[in-house]
Amino acid sequence: MLASHRWLVELSGVDASVDDIGDRLTRLGLEVEDTIRFGAGLDHVVVAEVRAVAPVPDKDKLSLVTVFDGEGERQVICGAPNVPAPGGRVVLAKPGAELPGGMAIAERKVGGVVSSGMLCSETELAIGAGTAGILVLGKGDPGRPGQLARDALGLEDAVYEIGLTPNRPDCLGHIGLAREVALAFGEPFRPPVPGFPSRFVSTDAKLRGADELPFIDDAQPSAVDTLTLVGPRPDVPILVPITIEAPDRCPRYAGGVVQGVTVAPSPFWLRFRLHKLGVRAIDNVVDVTNLVLQELGHPIHAFDLARVRGPRVVVRLAAEGERMATLDGEERSFTADDLLICDGGGPVAVAGVMGGADSEIRKDTRDVLIEVAYFDPRSIRRTSRRLGLHTDSSHRFERGVDPHGVPWAMRRAASLISSLAGGAAAPTARDVYPTPIGERAIALRPTHVGRLLGLDVPEAKVRGALEAVGCAISPAEGEGWRVSAPTWRPDLGRPEDLIEEVARTIGYDAIPTELPRVLPSGRGLAPNLRAAWRLREAAADLGLLEAVNYSFVSRSDLEAARVPAEAVELANPLSEDRAVMRTSLLPGLLDAALRATRHQASTVALFELARVYVPSGQRLPTERLELAIALAGDRPGHVGADGSYDFYDAKGALASVVDAALGLSLETVRPDVLDPSLHPRRSAEVRVAGARVGVIGEVHPDVTDALGLDLRVVYASVSLDALLEAAGARGVPQASGLPRFPSSSRDVAFTVPSELEAGAVEAALREVDEALLESVQLFDVYTGPGLADGSKSLAYRVVYRDPEATLTDKRVDKAHGRLVTSVCKRLGLEVR
Amino acid sequence: MAEATDEGAALERFEAGLADVEARLADAFEGATTEQALREANAKILGPSGELTGLLKLMPRLPKDRRRELGQRANATKARVQEALDARLEALARAAREAELTGPALDVSLPGRGVTRGRLHPLSRTIRELTDVFLALGFDVEDAPEIDLTQNCFDRLGFPPDHPATDMQDSFYLRAPDGTVDPEVVLRTHTTTIQIHQMLKRPPPLAVICPGAVYRRDDDATHSPMFAQIDGFAVDEGLTFAHLKGVLTAFVRRLFGDEVPVRFRPSYFPFVEPGGELDMGCVFCRPWEGDAERTRACRVCKGTGWMEILGCGMIHPVVFEAVGLDPSRYSGFAFGMGIDRIAMLRHGISNIRLLYENDVRFLSQL
Repeated sequence: MLASHRWLVELSGVDASVDDIGDRLTRLGLEVEDTIRFGAGLDHVVVAEVRAVAPVPDKDKLSLVTVFDGEGERQVICGAPNVPAPGGRVVLAKPGAELPGGMAIAERKVGGVVSSGMLCSETELAIGAGTAGILVLGKGDPGRPGQLARDALGLEDAVYEIGLTPNRPDCLGHIGLAREVALAFGEPFRPPVPGFPSRFVSTDAKLRGADELPFIDDAQPSAVDTLTLVGPRPDVPILVPITIEAPDRCPRYAGGVVQGVTVAPSPFWLRFRLHKLGVRAIDNVVDVTNLVLQELGHPIHAFDLARVRGPRVVVRLAAEGERMATLDGEERSFTADDLLICDGGGPVAVAGVMGGADSEIRKDTRDVLIEVAYFDPRSIRRTSRRLGLHTDSSHRFERGVDPHGVPWAMRRAASLISSLAGGAAAPTARDVYPTPIGERAIALRPTHVGRLLGLDVPEAKVRGALEAVGCAISPAEGEGWRVSAPTWRPDLGRPEDLIEEVARTIGYDAIPTELPRVLPSGRGLAPNLRAAWRLREAAADLGLLEAVNYSFVSRSDLEAARVPAEAVELANPLSEDRAVMRTSLLPGLLDAALRATRHQASTVALFELARVYVPSGQRLPTERLELAIALAGDRPGHVGADGSYDFYDAKGALASVVDAALGLSLETVRPDVLDPSLHPRRSAEVRVAGARVGVIGEVHPDVTDALGLDLRVVYASVSLDALLEAAGARGVPQASGLPRFPSSSRDVAFTVPSELEAGAVEAALREVDEALLESVQLFDVYTGPGLADGSKSLAYRVVYRDPEATLTDKRVDKAHGRLVTSVCKRLGLEVR
Repeated sequence: MAEATDEGAALERFEAGLADVEARLADAFEGATTEQALREANAKILGPSGELTGLLKLMPRLPKDRRRELGQRANATKARVQEALDARLEALARAAREAELTGPALDVSLPGRGVTRGRLHPLSRTIRELTDVFLALGFDVEDAPEIDLTQNCFDRLGFPPDHPATDMQDSFYLRAPDGTVDPEVVLRTHTTTIQIHQMLKRPPPLAVICPGAVYRRDDDATHSPMFAQIDGFAVDEGLTFAHLKGVLTAFVRRLFGDEVPVRFRPSYFPFVEPGGELDMGCVFCRPWEGDAERTRACRVCKGTGWMEILGCGMIHPVVFEAVGLDPSRYSGFAFGMGIDRIAMLRHGISNIRLLYENDVRFLSQL
């Protein structure tokens, strides 16, 4: 919402500075996000009167204009096509002036003539968008020659850009904002009373039926003396019949006629006011409707009455597929849920959203039908969304305008149109309002206010605050108050809403700041989050960079990585690239690796700890936290690379992270079922205490090839839940005491077939029933000279201990002999 | 007589040998410049077949009455040899140490071994720091699903049925198995859902925060379709707006410093009433230090001196009603903030996309 400081001062009667008002509005909940200044500078820019206009020799587009600047005459060269005849008033930038665009004005010679200044356009002064030429002041515009344009035309202003919350439609107009300004300064607010049209159509018809809205209240009898009565224009109606076929969508609709207008540009003050608020000036009728919208926040519409067939107005729902061209020139099609304003022939406007092209005001429009209505906010919202048409009008109607604001807006519009476009208003407007909307009553116990805020607020202060925002208070039947909220505040419906009004009136600053006396529950981090943090930190400590990928990927990403493609699908993705929820962290990490290689990174060491989403067959999918690690490229040595990352780096990294974070040790075993995204011969299942927790391996080279990634990537992923389960089953580590007698060790090397896993030999060693055996440690793997092809040597150090005695060499040799023989026999091995 | 002659010869050899050893003792080891050479030289004297050992083997052949005296002399010589050896050994070790201490220096500029740059993501780190503050303030940290029912995401939080947030334009919906849009399952648009999940799960008193990813259909330089938030709330009997101010003021001070001013101003969210926003003094131009010119020129706060950091308010009674708590008995406050912006402010990150691109050059910077 854009709001003019000058206008707010005018309406509120609070004459405070731009910063003061802006700051207080912010503190009241109307956040001023930016302030745009107008008319600053503009020294040496004055109103001047044209005295003579002469051609410039050889320059047919230029004229030599003699102007009177209040002190004397001077000559300026002007290239604009619209220099007025002598007597017309223009705006002159004298030498020494600096215009908002940075242009410095000085005397200069053009075509042999000295030009002593410049006649300015609205754009050059940054006070309008007029491009037709220089600014020419009209008869009704103020300013005498020599007066600073800034003062004469009221150019100095500031426009607030207010980030309005959607609950405050009352502040979508300057009157509502002015009420808040008054509130902020503790001043009473007196809403302006709209003027009345000075020219009326004379008629003998007996008016003031039930559905009629008089333009002059009986309360304003003095007005009648200054009226001009004008004879009605032939064949132009005074009242237009209105039928509301969908009263739930349109509870109130008023139509008022102004006859005999002359459509022309608006006076400067109106054009400038709209310009400051970002509204393009069009003509004196449309500009009035926009001014009323800016003033009251109530959108209204003007039809060319001659193009309203019937003439009559029908408010109804559209027929499915019904079509109409809107003001913006688009042909639009409607559904049976869209509310239309129709005439005797068909639709003329999309209710509350945009008028139709056929009935808009034109240069030759003579008679105007003013529409002021109240529409159901939800209905407007749905239509606006469906059409993708967000307008100043729909913006307000969908947030809720004041149904009781209709008469004000009608009078204001009729009176301004009649005075600016010279029309005569009908004595009354038709106002169809079958079921009036009442004020909402809210029960409030004044003590509730202090209890919720943590501050004693005296009853009188509560009352004062509520009355200041427009509430009326009466005693409730039981105890407490019955507060009726004004119809312009649809957001007030419960006691808490009223408490907020009190709180913002006294100021949030006035509420004390204190810590509650709550004993912490002692839970702290939820177990899975605690585990997640430890894993993250352990992974980072190990030298891995944490990645955060979008949770959504494309289906082809899943397919390319060969991870499960049965995925949770978005109904309205932003693009096909992000259409399904990931089922694995692999695609994201591969993408990051690819990105890294494009930047010539020689090493990629990443991890991600995030959710994957798996269809569950239920309405909500299963969300699972996973930790994934991806290593690729150079393994960092002390200086430079030490080979390339391989399976064992990933295994070591994962084991270290899982041990550091959760105290778990893991093992890797050849999988029963191959993971299609991993290398069939270089991958494994990750287990903790025999239970599967994840997978590890080199990413299938066909997968990396297909992605254009020319590095081998080793990858591991584990499920957090599975790790937590294992950690829970393991419990707290228990100490086992220290041995009292020394151990003794023996080394043995076996020659084994290449295919035989070291783990199997080690397991066989451990499984031998040998009471003295304490531990087995692989210390060498050898292939090469001295060994037959297809075999390798595995060397173990076996440690023996008798917990109750010092071992003799003899006992150890015996035990070791039994052990080696047993394993050789069992696995068919030879001692090397 | 032969015996006497034999004794005499032995004595003569013994005396000569001993004198020889004594005479050479001074420079017997000097020529040895390595420990190895020294030990070899020593072996020639004291070793099993060394000179002195050989002399001692003569002992039985020496005159009985002098054996004791000669033995003592031999032992004294042996001790002197040992002493000389030890001295020489020490001198050699000392020389080697001197050589090490004065020799070529280590290239200390070479990198450390086995230390590579690992980093938590800036979002993670920011979440962690914020979480730590709330943990210290007594809040629990809990999790909630990212894919949730619209009932939890909107309805129970007091969003009216056609609030813009519920629109397909603004929020991501899931496709139902039959291919149509499931209008009741949404990617959560805020972590505020934690209120519903926790209040349904546990009775008050409750004080919980929930960090996590949220999703909205925005994608431009300042909006990412996925971003991170922390929401928190407390519910108990007798909680007030003053408590809300207390907790959040403490939060800001712990995170940004005690000197940072805060201000609460009214704002609107469907699930709180009264609702507000918390501004903190701009940590870039630091207006409390009194440099007005710096504040005027500050691009981060646009010269206002304030930065909006979070939304907050007293939990709306409709929320309590939606989870079956009695709003006349319980009250509470709630707050929520975007992590991305805080992370960007803290680390000087200009574009939100950097947070989700996983460029290792970026990730290893911070």
